[in-house]
Amino acid sequence: MAVDFEPRIVGFLCNWCSYAGADMAGTSRITYPPNIRIIRVPCSGRVDPLLIVKSFQLGADGVLVAGCHPGDCHYTEGNYYARRRFALLRPFLDYLGVEKERFGVEWVSASEGKRWSQVVSSFTEEVRKLGPRKSAMPQEAVL
Amino acid sequence: MNLTEEVGTKARELLENNVVDCVIGYERATDGVSARPLFVYQPEETDKLIFDQTCTHNLAKYLLDRKDKVTGIVVKPCDSRAINLLLSEHQIERDKVFIIGVVCPGIVETGWNKTSEKLQAACELCQQHTPVIYDHLVGEPPISEPAPEAYPDVAGMEAQSAAERRAFWEEQFSRCIRCYACRQVCPGCYCGECFVERLDPLWVGIRIAAGENEMWNTMRAFHLAGRCIGCYQCEQVCPVNIPLSLLNRKLEKETLEAFNFQAGIDAETPAPFSTFEKDEKIGIGE
Repeated sequence: MAVDFEPRIVGFLCNWCSYAGADMAGTSRITYPPNIRIIRVPCSGRVDPLLIVKSFQLGADGVLVAGCHPGDCHYTEGNYYARRRFALLRPFLDYLGVEKERFGVEWVSASEGKRWSQVVSSFTEEVRKLGPRKSAMPQEAVL
Repeated sequence: MNLTEEVGTKARELLENNVVDCVIGYERATDGVSARPLFVYQPEETDKLIFDQTCTHNLAKYLLDRKDKVTGIVVKPCDSRAINLLLSEHQIERDKVFIIGVVCPGIVETGWNKTSEKLQAACELCQQHTPVIYDHLVGEPPISEPAPEAYPDVAGMEAQSAAERRAFWEEQFSRCIRCYACRQVCPGCYCGECFVERLDPLWVGIRIAAGENEMWNTMRAFHLAGRCIGCYQCEQVCPVNIPLSLLNRKLEKETLEAFNFQAGIDAETPAPFSTFEKDEKIGIGE
């Protein structure tokens, strides 16, 4: 593993809790690793498994989905559906050789700026430890 | 009476009494040994119908093209689960199908001009010998209850390291020519517009490349999570022999473990992704 490896992480954050939580981390001047590229979505239930698989295909080393805590969804039940989908997607990706640790799902509320920074830090560290996603096939151009 | 005669007699009766407009079954293919689908509209034509261990096709998919007319259909146990799937997803109506269920002895491996004694891999592992839904049953159902599903093949893959699995699947997917036969034959793949054909967003690019193949195969399998009924027609028709059942069965196993759900066993239980329990612990964000 290269020492200077910086993982590329895609984050899908729900508008109502986690995105505001990340905002809270910012306004509170809490630092966390800049490896994550945040994409704001209306709800964790909006995160189609296609988005996650596509992120990996286009070269992400890790994907982190964050949404409201169960029971707190802005749309009442979006995160419950998301939870079920990811409960199957995670072991399935692992089965295809994308380690479980590369796909994280966390619940972060709008007030949990501190927690958001911890979540991103530990997730980034996990992915950094795993190293870049290696391909057994001749490497194709990554978009 | 053997299965062929019983199927033929029932089909003739249905057509003569105008219970159905058409019976979908099997006939002997022109190679003389394998089977092919047959649509019977006239009572006299029912003599052509057969049923034996070469009848591999899942005919349930044809029901999607005959939603307006009452159709008789010959189904094996796995195919009968496809009918339950289509009923639960409101794709067909119960009173528009007459189901002739056949007690399945297991299907053998066949090819053009050749047949064998060897059961198909899926049939070796299959526990369901009686159709789960039927209007008329052909054959003697076994007395014993079906044994619980076991997944020795999936467990074998799980025992490997992630790197080994990745290498294995990359090799498999690299052979994919994206003919989409797996989708065309699948009773669960009936979307008017498949994600793979969408241009905006372009989920799967048209170039022939490992990444695009991987995207297709991953999402094809995942769109059948909790829906695949295990007829393995996809694997049967794959021209490059990708072990697609290994993907489908992994999701089947996970669905069974996490939600105690098997697709197509009945038409009433809601599919795992269409419902939830507030307090469930399923290993996500805990």
